Amino acid sequence: MSALGGAKPAGGSTGIAPIPAIISLVIFVIIFALMYRLGTPLAMTALIGIVIGGLLIGFGVHFVPVGGAPAAMGQAPGIATGVAMLAAGGGLAGLFGGAWAASQGTLVAVVTGAIGGGLMLAITCFFVNFVYIYGMGIPAASGKVKKDPITGDTQPEYKSQGTEGHGLPFVSFVGGVIGGLLGGAGGTLIYLMLLDVYQATLPGVMKATAVQIAPVAVSLAGMFAIGIFLVIAVLAAYNITGTIEGPHDPKFKRFPRALIASAVASALCGVAAILLVMV
Amino acid sequence: MDNIVFSIGITALAGALAAVAGAAENVESDIGSQGDPNSQVQLAPQMGYIHRIYNKAIAGEPPAWGLWIALGAGIAWAFMAMQINPILAIVLGAGLATFVQGVYSTTAYLGRTASLSKFGQPVYIDIIKSMTTVTMAHAFVAIFATVTLCHLMNAALGHPFPLPLLGLVWGIALGAAGSATGNPYYGKERQYQTQNFGAGVPISASGNIVRYAEAGERNSLDNGFFTAKLGGAAAGVCFGLIVFLELWRTVLFEKIGAGWGAIIVGVIIILVFTVIDRFIEVWARKNYGPYTKPEETSS
Repeated sequence: MSALGGAKPAGGSTGIAPIPAIISLVIFVIIFALMYRLGTPLAMTALIGIVIGGLLIGFGVHFVPVGGAPAAMGQAPGIATGVAMLAAGGGLAGLFGGAWAASQGTLVAVVTGAIGGGLMLAITCFFVNFVYIYGMGIPAASGKVKKDPITGDTQPEYKSQGTEGHGLPFVSFVGGVIGGLLGGAGGTLIYLMLLDVYQATLPGVMKATAVQIAPVAVSLAGMFAIGIFLVIAVLAAYNITGTIEGPHDPKFKRFPRALIASAVASALCGVAAILLVMV
Repeated sequence: MDNIVFSIGITALAGALAAVAGAAENVESDIGSQGDPNSQVQLAPQMGYIHRIYNKAIAGEPPAWGLWIALGAGIAWAFMAMQINPILAIVLGAGLATFVQGVYSTTAYLGRTASLSKFGQPVYIDIIKSMTTVTMAHAFVAIFATVTLCHLMNAALGHPFPLPLLGLVWGIALGAAGSATGNPYYGKERQYQTQNFGAGVPISASGNIVRYAEAGERNSLDNGFFTAKLGGAAAGVCFGLIVFLELWRTVLFEKIGAGWGAIIVGVIIILVFTVIDRFIEVWARKNYGPYTKPEETSS
């Protein structure tokens, strides 16, 4: 992973480097050509779904306000933990709900997954502010903007001396919920796509009935969905490089770069997960 | 009807177990100095402040707890497949996962502290003996409670994921909720107890953690005693609410509107938390006031 991080342009850049983007595009096309050649229409649809899910996750991670170690000392706004891991916590809680609702159709399951992720992060973000305000007596203040873009509350005078802000201003809270919604939806979509493929192909591969292979299909789809989720969350976290306050943070503008990486990474992981049962 | 009552009972039990798990996870993390605040424990000797605080950031809390709970759940699952009673299987799984946590803790403390030898930070053998076992005890409680609630989701509520996969999902969620809620309280309020209350730690004070207690040098058990009062409880309520509300909305409202009932209730719960969050944010701004005079509206 450090090699991926090292290959990126220097920190602070929001642009898309042309050569890596073209290489990514070529890899992306090769993966789809491979799938067209080796897979079935169902597998092709699943791969497209997995890429959409990956894009949702990669985009969603950028919304989650994460302050890392400085936030744990009230030196910077955000949630005091890692970007990838917090997004994974929310997104996987969403995947839990989405997988439960899988029998009710793709749309209901994906929305259920989204709500599960949003709910997890809404509760977590609320408790972050609760501890800051009632445990430490510190009001929320952003270090990146002078006014909260949603509420219009002024921010600089609420920053304590020698810090870059603390807690979760309202825009960061909303960002966290949106991040959870997108992560939960993306994770669930990947799970459902893989589940469809496994349910269709595993009975033939294992020479068993659909009922007999159901636990294997669910387990495999769940494992790959969690794995792909973590890959994309970590990629997006490298793009963010450390901490981000939410959608109002200048670092948020870096998301197009993460979308390219997420599309290629999810396609690569997806093709491996699908061809596992097809070749 | 009986089925719904049974499901609600299981939901309540799972929520209660999650609350215990969240609190135990946070106290383990604070005694073991597992989360982001450990950056200061690592930094302090480099700034000339030698201390007796446990130092074991093995990984971020979410992946660490994902590992331990998936491990506990996996071992319990294997024992259950061997027709061993589920409660005994979960106890054995949690116990073995706790030993893995103990091994990681010991090696992390020795490795991290040894890396600070050039700054004069000693490895305290008595710290390893007294703190590691306490973190293991808290880890056992958290792993047992979380694996049990995963088993309830799988066996009683019928979630399709197998137990180890549920363990990984809820282990990562437990670490995420616990670290998000508990880290600031340990990092700012306890490690920097000498700094002003009601303000963040100035960046210039980084590394100058509190090293002395009422009698003698402060150790990590003192930190656990302090943070259990608010950080631990808040992390417990946070994770308990996440598990309870997620299950509650599904169990009660999933059948309404072909799944849309649970979605609508979920949206309402998110909106309720949004309103409460906004309320306490405004409350804090009014009651704690600005630190400096508002800037002129030139921008």
